[in-house]
Order: sequence, then structure tokens, then C-alpha cells
Amino acid sequence: MTPLLEIRDYTLDFQTRAGPFRALDGVSLAVAPGEVLGLVGESGSGKTTLAMAVMRHLAGNARERGGSIRFDGRELIGIAPAEVRALRGRRIGMVFQNPATSLNPTLTLGRQITEVLERHRGLSPRAAATEAVDWLGRVELRNPAALMRRDPHQLSGGEKQRVVIAATFAVHPDLILFDEPTTALDVITGARILELFRRLRAETGVTGLYISHDLAVVSRIADRVAVLRHGRLLEQAPAATLFHAPQNDYTRRLIASVPKPEHRLVQDTPGAEKILEADHLGVAYWRPRLFGRQIFVGVHDVTLDVRAGEILGVVGESGSGKSTIARALTGLAHATGEIRLDGALVGRMGRAYRRAVQIIFQHPDSSLNPRQRIGEILARPLRLYGGSPREIPDLLAQVHLPAEYAHRWPHQLSGGEKQRVAIARAFAARPRLVICDEITAALDVSVQAAVIELLLDLRRQHGTAYLFITHDLNLVRQIAHRLAVMQHGELVDLLGIDDLGSGRENAYTRALMEASPAPVG
Amino acid sequence: MNDLLRRLLATRQGALGVVLLVLVAFCCIAGPWLAPYDAEQIDFLGRFAAPGTRHLLGADQLGRDVLSRLLTGARTTVPAALGATLLGTLAGAVAGTLSAYLGGHWDEAIMRTIDAVMALPGLLLALLVANTLGAGGLGAVLAVAVAFAPGMARITRSVALAVRRQEYVSAAIARGESGTYIVLREMLPNVVAPVIVETTIRVAFAVMLFATLSFLGLGAQPPAPEWGLMVSEGRRYLHQAPWLVVVPGVAIAITAIGFNLLGDGLRDALNPRDER
Repeated sequence: MTPLLEIRDYTLDFQTRAGPFRALDGVSLAVAPGEVLGLVGESGSGKTTLAMAVMRHLAGNARERGGSIRFDGRELIGIAPAEVRALRGRRIGMVFQNPATSLNPTLTLGRQITEVLERHRGLSPRAAATEAVDWLGRVELRNPAALMRRDPHQLSGGEKQRVVIAATFAVHPDLILFDEPTTALDVITGARILELFRRLRAETGVTGLYISHDLAVVSRIADRVAVLRHGRLLEQAPAATLFHAPQNDYTRRLIASVPKPEHRLVQDTPGAEKILEADHLGVAYWRPRLFGRQIFVGVHDVTLDVRAGEILGVVGESGSGKSTIARALTGLAHATGEIRLDGALVGRMGRAYRRAVQIIFQHPDSSLNPRQRIGEILARPLRLYGGSPREIPDLLAQVHLPAEYAHRWPHQLSGGEKQRVAIARAFAARPRLVICDEITAALDVSVQAAVIELLLDLRRQHGTAYLFITHDLNLVRQIAHRLAVMQHGELVDLLGIDDLGSGRENAYTRALMEASPAPVG
Repeated sequence: MNDLLRRLLATRQGALGVVLLVLVAFCCIAGPWLAPYDAEQIDFLGRFAAPGTRHLLGADQLGRDVLSRLLTGARTTVPAALGATLLGTLAGAVAGTLSAYLGGHWDEAIMRTIDAVMALPGLLLALLVANTLGAGGLGAVLAVAVAFAPGMARITRSVALAVRRQEYVSAAIARGESGTYIVLREMLPNVVAPVIVETTIRVAFAVMLFATLSFLGLGAQPPAPEWGLMVSEGRRYLHQAPWLVVVPGVAIAITAIGFNLLGDGLRDALNPRDER
């Protein structure tokens, strides 16, 4: 069968001030009609650039250095803008990563879909409206007729992504490019979107190029998988073959670094002594109104404790209040209830408490001040908690970074290195408990594995306890001693890791477990 | 510091700005010695002398040499304008950042006060302050600074609100840092870019505001060769002797352009992300 999309020896440079940067290097791949090809790579591997090259929507500094992109037998490189417009949306659709920004906030949901139907299928406004309602129903949104008049901000992330999918499928494109469509969503929502996509694919027989950094997701959806690294295509094979018998070294490493829940990384049992106790913790956010205030509950009545040297995992969907617990325990949010450190009630969080309880944030890019050098960033907690700047090289060595990094700026470091600096900053206080708020969510899977290894290493050296907040159940099952499950701001389950799957868990916990993508291999 | 200068000179705007400002600074320092005549030397026979060999840039209504006045006046004009702008900017930037950091009721209180102050036209406010403090140098400098601060506070606050949400600020709060440290060391360095650009634009406004104050009798007093005062005095003879307005006007423009270019260059040079 002739492929629908065929890319041959495609090479692309980005013109930068430092000279040309090769983003794609001799990439060749083909997608047959009705097939879904998974494209896997870590950040910066060039996967989105490839999708944009197919869409003919490249940045101004992109220079194509040869090769060909053929769609349905026709060469796409160098075609006229009018022809590009005829292809885009109509024959090649695209679903983007962030549904919050891919819908126009000023148009109603109905208009977002009728617009493409009128433009690409030439339907009359009335016919388009009927068709749009039909599609909103097909993507399993409740009450589609009423949704037509609503605005994007009234929907949750998952619902918005469904609208985007409806608008893309409604024009019956031949090829759809999916650029990490579930990455911005939480596990359960993401799993449902994948479910939907599988069903729509069976119904429409659409051809797909599915881009993701998440091997587990790709293994569920794609017929064949291609692995991209630094702009080079390393390997492509049917999904099952690739995951069970990877040929390339890098692919093997990538598969190995995906967390597997059965493979425990922590064997010891924590001490019985409770370091930190939170009793009936509550956080309410409010927004002023004309009369009084509107109150949102962040978390409600959460009681939990962390024992010496324990890793307590906190899981839940986005918006369930996981991070609010972290903010309450570090004094970033005003909380009601009681917090005890070593059995003593904590009134105002003084230096002793702050020193004992440290926090590491999710985004390595924003957690280091861009105007301070690494040395300056690390010197601050040392000065506050009675250390001396002479310890900076030791701190850096602890997180496996060279001592010269003290003179660097944060932006000169990679994401993983920045997160190591953030870890070093937390450990500068010699804390007893470190709160890790989704600290690996923004990192590539291989970098994540290294960061987790580092955390466990530091725990062995210092006996530190962790409150590990994450949405990645597979990861937390590898390391946590106990698991706290949050839903709608409440603690619905608190159980030992061995009790998972024993039938003693809450129904919601079970649903969460089932939704998390099965690991590959 | 050397590194900053190197980065500044590497940009085209920065280099040109530095050249212009070095020229202006040279006039400020050595102006009176370079001047061919005394700035206040009156020559009735040479009134309104056109630019030529005798008076390089012409002479004014009292026959005073315009070039000499320009060179001598640089010293009173430029440092005062720069000082007033920096003072106003600094006060405004700190107020705006503090307001964004404190948030809630404090933010409301600070910003509504600033709104109230902004409701008065800048010139009126400057007049009020200058009048209270009495005519003359320091009063005028403070007047211009007070007139500039509210606008700067608004601009800074909007940038600081975005910075406030960054995790490094949360990290500093969780670490137990003092409010002063967070505002001055964590937040302020990250809001400087728009503040610097705005500051450099305002230096030119400051020169003109000084001129207006002088014109109204609250700034520099005649016969002082202040540039703004020269423009407003020369205005009456615009048709007869246009150079009386054009020459100091061009001098003000060159200073303003110099500061603007320096501002653009500084914005890039101060950004550690910019690799050059």
C-alpha cells in the first residue's frame, strides 16, 4: 500500500545567533493509510518540529536543508500558501498539547466547530450547527445542544480537549497529528481521552501521527513506534516489538527508565516516630465579591502524619488539593487546624520549623531566580540556617554537579540540573522532611529516573523523610511506604503500599490505579 | 561590571548610547572651560548674531554666546534631570514591587493612594512640591521625582505581580526570608527591564519638566544657562532667531536619544539569558 504520509531524508536547521542548529537530521518515516504511528522522544528531540514541518508552519528561522515530505503522493515542500491552506484543517488536522490555549477564549464552543465545518466542508450555518451538536455528542460530552452556546473557560481541561478533538474529526481529515494531547491532563482524564481516541479511530479509520514523550501512552495507542533523539530517527518498529525487543541502546535506556510499579526501589521500613503531624488541616481560598467573599475550598479536614525517614506519597487528579497541602505545610497558604513537629504544636512557623521542613517545587525553570548565580542561590539557605558558603562545593557534589556550577546562571543549566540545584538548596538546611511537589513532572523520563535515584541516595545518607506529591502512580508505587489519596480537596484514602490491590482500598483509589497507563515492557 | 560594559558595547544601541552620553558627560565636566565666552557675558552689539565664525552657534537676545551657554548649562541641566528621574524611578519601583509582594489590603491601599496622586497632572503636582519647598535646585529635583514616582509604581507593579507568582519567590517565603530581602533581592532584579526602559525615556521628559518649572519661575532662575530655560526664553524670538530654540532643543534631543539607546542596550546587557 502506498503510504499516506512519507517523509524522506528530511533535514532542517534553525538559524540561531550561535550558528545553525540541526533540529532534524535525515529523518525518514512513512505512515500507511489507517495506521497510527507513535513518535517518541524527549524534550528537544525535534518531534514537534517534525509535526510543524508536515503542517508547513515552521518558525521564521527554520531552514530546510533537503529531503521530501510527501502527503498522498504530493510533495509538500515548496507548495504555494493557497495550497497549504487547502490542506490544513481540511486534509491534515492537528490536536495540540494544551487545550486551554488551543481554543479561542472569545468564541463559543459551538462557533469553534461550526467555523471549521463551514470553512472546510462548505456546510450552511444551519447544517453546520446540527453537525456540530452531533459531534459534541460523539466525543461523549453531556448535553451537547447547551454546550454550543457556552464559552471555553466554563469547561474543564479534559472537556476542552474533547471539543478540540470534535472540531478536528468533524471535517473528516485524512491525517491527524496529535502533539502530546494528554500531557497537560491528569491521569484519569488522559486515560478517558485515549479511550475516546481509540473509539473514534475505529469508527473513522483515520490515519494518525501520535507524538508523545510518554512511552506508556504510545504503547497503548500506536501500531508502530518511531524513536527520535537529537533530530535523528533511531529506530522504528511495530509497538510490541519495540517495547519487548528494542534494538537501539537509547531506546533500551528509555524503556528501562519508565517506572515499573512492581520494581520497588525502597526496601527498608521507616521509623515509628512521627516527625510531622497535620490535624484537621483546612485551606480556603477566597475572592472578594461586592458583598462578602466567594470561598473556594482548597483542602478540607486533612489529617495525616509523616514518620522519620518515611516516604509518604500524595496522589490525586489535578485540582484535588495535593499542592495545597504542600503550601499549607510550608506556610505559603494560610491554614486552619494544627501542625505538630515532633509532637510540639507549631504556632508561627519559626526558623526551627522552616529548617526542618523544606520544599522543592515543580518547575525547575521558575524555582531558581534567573538573576542570581547558582552559588548565590545556595548561599542563602546556608546563611539563614547557620551554615557557611564554604559548604557550596560539598552541596553541589552531593547532587552530582561540578563545583564550577556555582558561577553559572540558572539558564545555562538543563532542566534536570536545575532541579538538582533546587534539591541542593533544600538539603542545605539539613532538613528532616522534604516536601517534593511534582518535582519530576516537568522532566523527561530518563532525567526523572536520575533525580529519583538522587533523592533516594540523599535519603540513605541523611535519613530524610519525603512527602512526595505526584500524579504518576507508577512512580510513587516504586518508592512510597504509604500513599495518601486526595479527591476534591479531601483525603479519601491513606494506606500502606502493600495494601494496594488487596481490596482494602477506597473505590476511588482503585479507579485511579486502573486509569494510570500500564508501563511498557 | 567590566562584563556588563562589554555586553553593553556589543549591542549597536548600547554602543551608540554610550558614545552620545560620554559626549554629554564630557560637556558636563569640562563645559565651562571649553566655552569660548563667559555664559553670561552680554554684548549689545552682537544681539541675535547668526551662527558664524564669531558665534559658532549664534547669539541670543542679549548677545550672549549660545555655544558657551549650552556648554556651561549642561552641568545644571543633565545631572538634575537624571537625578530626579532616578529618584522618582527608585521610589516608584520599590513601592510597586512592595505592593505586589504584600498583596491583599496593602496592595489596595498603596495602589489607590497612587491612583489618587496620579489624578493630579504631573506638572501641577511638581508645581505644588516645588512651591512648598521653595524655588531652586533641590526643590525642583524633588518635585520632578514626586511627579514621576506614581507612574513608575504602576508599571513596576504589573511586572512584579507576574514575578510574585514565580516559585523562587515562594521558595524564599518558605525559607523564612524577610520581606525586605524578598522585595529587594528576589523580586526587584527581575522587574528592572521595563523599569530601565521607562526610566531612560523619562530623562527627556524630566529635562522639559525642569524647563517648564523654570519658565514658571520655580526651577532654575534667569540668567542661568539651563537648557530648558534657554528654550523657553528663546521661544519669543523663534521667527527672528530660530537657533535660540533649535540649538538647546537639539541638545536635549541628543541627551534623550542617548539615554533611550542606553536603556535599550542595558535591558539586553542586564538580561543574563542573552548570550553575547
